[in-house]
Amino acid sequence: MKKLLKVALCFACAMAVCACSGGNSGDRAHQLKIYNWSDYIDEDLLDEFEEWYYEQTGEKVEIIYQVFDINEVMLAKIERGQADYDLVCPSDYIIERMINHGLALPLDRNYGSTPDYTKNVAPFAIEEFNAMNTPGKNANDYSVPYMWGTVGFMYNEKYVDRSEVSTWGAILNPKFEQKLFMKDAFRDIYSPLLIYLNSEGIANGTVDAKKLMYDVSDESIAKVEALLMEAKKNVSGWEADFGKEMMTQEKAWVNWTWSGDAMWAINEAGDVGVKLNYVVPEEGSNCFFDGWVIPKYAVNTKAANYFINYMCMSENAIRNMDVIGYVSVIGTPEVLASQEELAQDSRYAEVVDASYFFGPEADSVLLNPIFYPDKSVMDKCVLMHDTDQDTEKLLKMWSRVKGDNLNGTILVLLGVVVAALIVWSVIKSRKNKSRRQGSKKRK
Amino acid sequence: MGKIKQFFGRRSSWSIPYLIFMLIFVVLPLLLVVLYAFRDPQGNFTFENVRTFINERESVNTLIYSIGIALITTVICILLGYPAAYILSHSRFRSASVMVALFLIPMFINVLMRTLATVALFGFMKVPLGQATLIFGMVYNYLPFMILPIYTVLQKIDKSYSEAAQDLGASNREVFTKVTLPLSMPGVVSGIMMVFMPTISTFAIAELLTMNNIKLFGTIIQENINNGMWNYGALLSLIMLILIVVTNLFNDDKEEASAAGGLI
Amino acid sequence: MMKNFLAKAYIWVLLVLLYAPMIVIAIFSFTEAKVLGNWTGFSTGLYRSLFTSGQHEALMSAVLNTLIIGLVAAIVSTALGTVSAIGIYNLRNKRFKSAMNTMNNIPILNADIITGVSLFLLFVSLGVTQGYVTLTLCHITFCTPYVVLSVMPRLKQMNPNTFEAALDLGATPSQALRKVILPQIRSGMVSGFFLSFILSIDDFEVSVFNVGTNGLQTLSTYIYADSRKGGLTPELRPMITIVFVAVLAVLIIMNLRSKNNTQNNSLK
Repeated sequence: MKKLLKVALCFACAMAVCACSGGNSGDRAHQLKIYNWSDYIDEDLLDEFEEWYYEQTGEKVEIIYQVFDINEVMLAKIERGQADYDLVCPSDYIIERMINHGLALPLDRNYGSTPDYTKNVAPFAIEEFNAMNTPGKNANDYSVPYMWGTVGFMYNEKYVDRSEVSTWGAILNPKFEQKLFMKDAFRDIYSPLLIYLNSEGIANGTVDAKKLMYDVSDESIAKVEALLMEAKKNVSGWEADFGKEMMTQEKAWVNWTWSGDAMWAINEAGDVGVKLNYVVPEEGSNCFFDGWVIPKYAVNTKAANYFINYMCMSENAIRNMDVIGYVSVIGTPEVLASQEELAQDSRYAEVVDASYFFGPEADSVLLNPIFYPDKSVMDKCVLMHDTDQDTEKLLKMWSRVKGDNLNGTILVLLGVVVAALIVWSVIKSRKNKSRRQGSKKRK
Repeated sequence: MGKIKQFFGRRSSWSIPYLIFMLIFVVLPLLLVVLYAFRDPQGNFTFENVRTFINERESVNTLIYSIGIALITTVICILLGYPAAYILSHSRFRSASVMVALFLIPMFINVLMRTLATVALFGFMKVPLGQATLIFGMVYNYLPFMILPIYTVLQKIDKSYSEAAQDLGASNREVFTKVTLPLSMPGVVSGIMMVFMPTISTFAIAELLTMNNIKLFGTIIQENINNGMWNYGALLSLIMLILIVVTNLFNDDKEEASAAGGLI
Repeated sequence: MMKNFLAKAYIWVLLVLLYAPMIVIAIFSFTEAKVLGNWTGFSTGLYRSLFTSGQHEALMSAVLNTLIIGLVAAIVSTALGTVSAIGIYNLRNKRFKSAMNTMNNIPILNADIITGVSLFLLFVSLGVTQGYVTLTLCHITFCTPYVVLSVMPRLKQMNPNTFEAALDLGATPSQALRKVILPQIRSGMVSGFFLSFILSIDDFEVSVFNVGTNGLQTLSTYIYADSRKGGLTPELRPMITIVFVAVLAVLIIMNLRSKNNTQNNSLK
């Protein structure tokens, strides 16, 4: 035992020394602290960037890479915790909030002799960023888009026909009782349902879907809440992460999810012989963009700007897409060529009009429509917006919908236990009393 | 003799570093929880958080629900764990210590990984995830914490007590109910402490085992802290803290025993 | 006889149940499916890719961090806890002694999540950047009380006269400490050490609030974040399996050795 302890001690000391030398000892000015979604980059690129940056600027940089899984968690760390990240990758509405709250630093696209690869970003994404709700500022001055996708239904082809999930109303379909996974993200549920509730108006032109995304009136919230309450009997789980895995195991048939997650699950399910597919309902939907932002408390902004530029190189965008399954915003011919090649042997490939993304030549190309939906679909997809102060209203609606799990059985059980405890303590105190009296008498 | 006393006197001052350490890392943080609970994000004193808690049915209901689940888990742990501890303490020493170690080894495997594997296990058995699987998972995770303290106490009980009782004509059953069981209560109490509170406050296990369908009190605390609502989160923590203090008052008279009966 | 058999059977059933998840992980470490629970044919690919250098740097560094923090926390806690236990045991002021004991019990009785949140608030309000050092301090905070509790009973069991006897026989106080007190409380220290180590490597709820913003990940926080997007890294399965087998092997070897010792020395 003694020997074992000694060995453990030596081991620990050695490790501690290693840790100290390799850990936080670096010089902050030559570090680049990146806070990204988990599994959202080809991690080899991090090492390669350090070399590339040295080649371009002659400066050394060491990347510290950390991941988050919820937008709001990231935001809280920066807003309340004043964390000194140099680069973060939030979603569109958080980008709006960061810009509006002065938490984002303007970008510096002066890369010296290095080409400006941020020009590779598809005009489609730039336009969406132009249209962001950032009064007095242009989102493109503060952020460069990174990945994008749509919100829709992933479904199991064995049990579900495409037509059944081509409407958001599918969540009310009694066929899907306990077979539906909902994304545990109130925004990605609320906004599409608003579109669904107003689908007639949108179709005949009386309602503007883009304006609808600012609607957080009590009336609209109540309508969505009622709809969700009705759909609740179908919901088998509110998934933050496990939905895609469960779908490959056929635990549920339909999953309200993001296109990137759907693609991940479709690939994985293919390996075990489960056929999944993904559809954007006909009423229209949300598209989302995740983009790079340099937060207010950043230290090494130069390296951050260069990193953004590096991420926009076509070959790096292709590598990222290969690894993470989401779609890069880079719209260069190289990316198109690689995606067409990928689509060649995919059973999901379709001829789509991707001119909105790759330019006019790409109006009928063979691509994976889960990655690049047809123009007709994208025309109906709108961006979500930050609801700032009203977010709390949505959050409260969401917690009402998800509800609590208090039920009669538990209440009865607790009542019984409390009663038993009271009875027990009364008996005990009586016993004690009589004992005390007894001992007094003896005295 | 005086010299020895002096020597021991110096030994007593050995507790000073730990006292300082605890003041900084145990007492001060708890005071901060209280401080944050009664402040708004700007740092002004407020009762707003308390009001929110009382007015929002979800938080209160979740608290009650969590207590219920924790209670069920604890009872099941006692029912399963006590016999196991009893059997272990009565088997021959050598094999018993190995057995106890066997019960401890699963704890070397990361708790989240264990839970994910349990989820997979339920998947094979086609058990739908929900309240039942949640309780099962909790029992699974906390059973060793119930067995260990009971085993430790049972093992320490002087065998001559039960022998004496037998000599005085007590049946096996009477020996158990009148001698062994009462003497092992400190172990049960510390077992309860190690199972009941963690069950209310875990969030990862509940999240994974019920597909986010069931929230426990820990889930709301974590959500609030993570979403930057530190003050409300601190208030919820404070309520949890009060709950812990109250439960501990219940076995106040056994404090010394439960401390000694802790782990090993 | 029957009763004996039933008792044994009960223990084994419990053990099988407790080990079932580990067995599931072990089985599914031999297939390359990304999702735990899917079978895509037998393969040792995951074991190979686990040991292919440079591929799973994030995972490996998380494992390393967990081990380093666990060992450092266990060692510091054992030292601090033992010293404090001797100190507390020798306190003559009853009030102070019971206050120390109560304080020592707080982290044990407190829920992990509260410990985590309160320490998080401490570092935030002190403006300390959270990282390696602070996380290790957090772990020491909740490990040390267990060491105190494991050492204390040994101190109480000790015959105080042996110490005096040692002094009478001419030992210096420090010799008496090393040769008389420490051997008697060593078993408490060892169990405190292992307990601390287990608690530290298994911890999730304290770590998740205190890993800070310097890119530090422990195994628990890595798994928690990892499963959110893109699914759990499949290489975790062979890794966990290897750890599990190693721990089991250590236990068996230690058991065999102590059996040999018993036969040789007929001592404990």
